[in-house]
Amino acid sequence: MLKKKIAMLGAFAVGKTSLVQQYVNSIFSEKYQTTIGVKIDQKVVNLNETEITLMLWDLYGDDDFMKMKPAYLIGSSGYLLVADGTRAETIDVALTLHEMASEVTKNAPFIFLINKSDLKETWEIEPETINHLKSKGWHVMITSAKDNNLVEEAFTLLTQMILAKQ
Amino acid sequence: MQKGKEKITEDILELGKLNELRILLTGLTQQELERLQKLIRDPHEFAEEMSELLPYSIRKLIEKGEISIEALLPFVEDAMHKSIQKNPQKLADILFPVMGPAIRKAVSEDMKKLIASVNATLESGLSPTSLKWRLQAMFSKRSFTEIVLANTYVYHVSQVFLIHRQTGLLLHQEVASEKVEMEADMVSGMLTAIRDFVHDSFNSKESASLDEIQVGELKILIEQGPYAVVAAIVEGQPPADYRLTLMETVEAVHFNHAVDLEKFEGETDVFRHTSKFLKNCLIKQKKEKKSKIPWPLIILLIVLIGFAGYYLYVRIEQNSRFNRFSTELEVLPGFHLTKVEKKGKVLNIYGLRDLQSSSLDELMKKYKIDSTNLNLQFEPYISLEKEIVVKRAQELLQPPPTATFRYESGVLFFIGEAPHQWLLNAIENPSKIWGVINMDTAEMNVKEEEETQNLQWIIPEIEKYSFIFDMHIVEVNDLQQKQFDSLVRAAVFLTDYNKLYNKELAIFVRSYTNRSGNVEANLKVAIQRAEGFVGLLQQAGLPEDLLEAQVLFIEDLNENIILRSVHFEVFDKNMKD
Repeated sequence: MLKKKIAMLGAFAVGKTSLVQQYVNSIFSEKYQTTIGVKIDQKVVNLNETEITLMLWDLYGDDDFMKMKPAYLIGSSGYLLVADGTRAETIDVALTLHEMASEVTKNAPFIFLINKSDLKETWEIEPETINHLKSKGWHVMITSAKDNNLVEEAFTLLTQMILAKQ
Repeated sequence: MQKGKEKITEDILELGKLNELRILLTGLTQQELERLQKLIRDPHEFAEEMSELLPYSIRKLIEKGEISIEALLPFVEDAMHKSIQKNPQKLADILFPVMGPAIRKAVSEDMKKLIASVNATLESGLSPTSLKWRLQAMFSKRSFTEIVLANTYVYHVSQVFLIHRQTGLLLHQEVASEKVEMEADMVSGMLTAIRDFVHDSFNSKESASLDEIQVGELKILIEQGPYAVVAAIVEGQPPADYRLTLMETVEAVHFNHAVDLEKFEGETDVFRHTSKFLKNCLIKQKKEKKSKIPWPLIILLIVLIGFAGYYLYVRIEQNSRFNRFSTELEVLPGFHLTKVEKKGKVLNIYGLRDLQSSSLDELMKKYKIDSTNLNLQFEPYISLEKEIVVKRAQELLQPPPTATFRYESGVLFFIGEAPHQWLLNAIENPSKIWGVINMDTAEMNVKEEEETQNLQWIIPEIEKYSFIFDMHIVEVNDLQQKQFDSLVRAAVFLTDYNKLYNKELAIFVRSYTNRSGNVEANLKVAIQRAEGFVGLLQQAGLPEDLLEAQVLFIEDLNENIILRSVHFEVFDKNMKD
């Protein structure tokens, strides 16, 4: 059986937990995020008839990212950087977290998710920003945990990227 | 042409001579010289050659005492120091398999000392528990310390996880029981997170790590290796050497899967072979349940023993009564026993019985023997025992109360006083009394006629008779008929008595029964018995108005009356209520 550790990174209230809520097998309460800073969920993905168990380390999102413990990132095979489309500043937080994560994980694959695509009225992220991120060769996906938009696809793509790098 | 050949020949000869000369000078061949030359010119080749010689040379130098170990130590220490400064983890990884056994050995030695100390302390202890354990050790042929530890520790390891240290991914898991359901992947991840959290939060040293989490009676014991961690879920207090088991497991896993762990990319199947190591960690020991006093069982036993004892007592007591009864019966005049046997609660007695023998009621009453427990099978016979012959004479001759008999060797002696007429009738035919050959009246005084009118004797004579019937029987048998005849001989004087004393005495014929079973039928039979006797007495000449039949239930009486018996009581009609 193949198992991979994946980290969920992002600022406070960007929807990391909501993104995985419907798809994961969860036994731990969310209170662990505020106590020890992480909650671990499990997601089994089938890819090319191969079953892969993803252990999702849902790290506590704090705008003061210095509080985040890098130790939780060690050993991650990939990570999802999550930003909130209705709060532009969360992009910067995600970028800072990416710097830390890429160093700790030794450039593990990642996907940049801009969440809450269902809230078009309050959307703050300019297309230029997205293009700028894409221009770095990054995978950027506009997701909605509420509408279940591109969430499953994001996990599948990240798994593919991890396996491709292996 | 010829000259050319000669020239070549000369050259070859010259070369041969040069070789000979070189060998003579150096002692080396051309090839050997070339090898030496190459060795000097090529440093790599030279180093290769020297590497083989150098250890040997050093050993030789040490042996000769030209250099000492102490002289080499600073170089080795310096090299190690620099290596550790440069990359301490590398040396730690190298030493890990070596350090484990070394530390264990040291700990083992300390444990031995501790056990010896505990042993010594307990040796001197004389508590009941200590004595109990000592006995256990003696009988089980185990050491005393083993018994002490076995009684002290109670534990159960339900699960063991092998977790990849860096990723927190579960590599393998073993459970003690299939009933254990746990999301092992998530638990091992969370365990890793907690370990990291504690490590980071308290700024622990690199080498320090979380090795135990305790929640109530539940413990998670964690043993760290360079690449993998073994975590055991333990309930209760495991033995002191359990940590050693975990350490050995971590070492075994690292030894057997060093490459798999170092290059781990998420593939866990390869770690299924660690199962045999992890299963060693699934140990348990149940503390022997305290031997509770099984009160219900004890009470049951006491009750059973009580019943058995009571039953035994009843049987012994009954046997004793039976024995005494039969012994006494055997010497009773008019009885000759041929066989006595006890069958369950019934005493069976076989033998011979004279008609003049006394009633057994008193004897039965004395030994508390109920008629239901007694089966008497007697054949009639004529007894010549003194008492029986005297009784027989009394019955036949009906002496007045002032006269008695004595019997010796076939002679019946008349003693006391008696009316003349009675005496004449009595001695008329001695042979009519079985066992009497002669009669002797020398000791008898003849009384005047009027004095013979004293009839006081008839009342006790009438009242002394009683008749016992078997169930449903109303007719008197032969033996009872004889007794009844004796009764009649006294009863017929009742009219004379009344006249003489100016009384109105009459006889109650009392028939006794009980209320068990069919009361109506019991009553009917009792009435028949009473009226039967009344009829017989009337036939004997007693007037009807002097006879009164009565039926009584023994349950209503204070006195102890034998069931199915008929008694006679003389009463004054004027005094009757």
